Amino acid sequence: MKSVYILPTGDEIKSGIVLDLDAPEIIGQTVRAYPEAEVTRLCPLLDIEDTILNKITEVFEKNPDLIVLIGGSGGGHRFSKTLGKDFTHSALERFLDEYSSHEIYGKNGHMWSKLICGRKGTTTVINVPGPFVEAKAAFEAFLKAYANEKSVDDISLAMAEAVFAQYPAGAAQPL
Amino acid sequence: MEHEYIIAHADKSVLKISGLEVKGLNTKQLEEILAEKLHTFVRVIGVTGDNIEMDVYDIEPEQVRKNEKGLIESIVLTEGITVTELTKLSCSEKIVQVDYDSIPAEPISACAMERWMKRK
Repeated sequence: MKSVYILPTGDEIKSGIVLDLDAPEIIGQTVRAYPEAEVTRLCPLLDIEDTILNKITEVFEKNPDLIVLIGGSGGGHRFSKTLGKDFTHSALERFLDEYSSHEIYGKNGHMWSKLICGRKGTTTVINVPGPFVEAKAAFEAFLKAYANEKSVDDISLAMAEAVFAQYPAGAAQPL
Repeated sequence: MEHEYIIAHADKSVLKISGLEVKGLNTKQLEEILAEKLHTFVRVIGVTGDNIEMDVYDIEPEQVRKNEKGLIESIVLTEGITVTELTKLSCSEKIVQVDYDSIPAEPISACAMERWMKRK
């Protein structure tokens, strides 16, 4: 892996109300695993689906090995007016022709997180959740699966399982 | 390509702290402080310039509410938070379980809760 672009999302991240702790963590993990990688953290994006999609498209033109979107992975505004707008998964679904996804739902029916892994050309594209422990776990799982040359299905599953493990213990069941 | 679903069977409530001044919030530090205080998992899910919403797992909401003063005092040291005289804490009841078999498949939506609420 030689070229990585990190796209943090979130109005609260862009405005500085919340510190971006995830991008430095992902940069750190990447350079530990791939010392020669050039990692670029872009300016945080507002929670607007078209803005996110346009930036992914723009970055893809640079032909990177990996694009990582941070945050906006849940149901968000679709569930509660007071929550942020979550659009990274829907933007990725518009961008990617083929991808694998795993959705984690609470027992209240709220989508807590949707993890996507896809490939377009030679570029791998993933998203990680915003909460630090979940982003850290998801990216650790990604790097491990990626290094083992797993399929996008396996990578997406590994990331979802890693995020799921950050919740209190509870039995998982397929819908 | 796989598109699969997983259900997390965890109890959670939403803890909201309002009347704050928030700038440069260290969410990791806040989660750690409150997790230690409440002895459970805490996850920041929404932040504005004056309030913070968090998921708290496997805890009785009453236990959170009766400890309001102590919890507010404990977050004073968090990077990016200034407590004001208007600061107050509220905690929702635990989430209600929905019957996934009753959730309509259409209209297609990213959130099953939304579809469940709109079911006929």
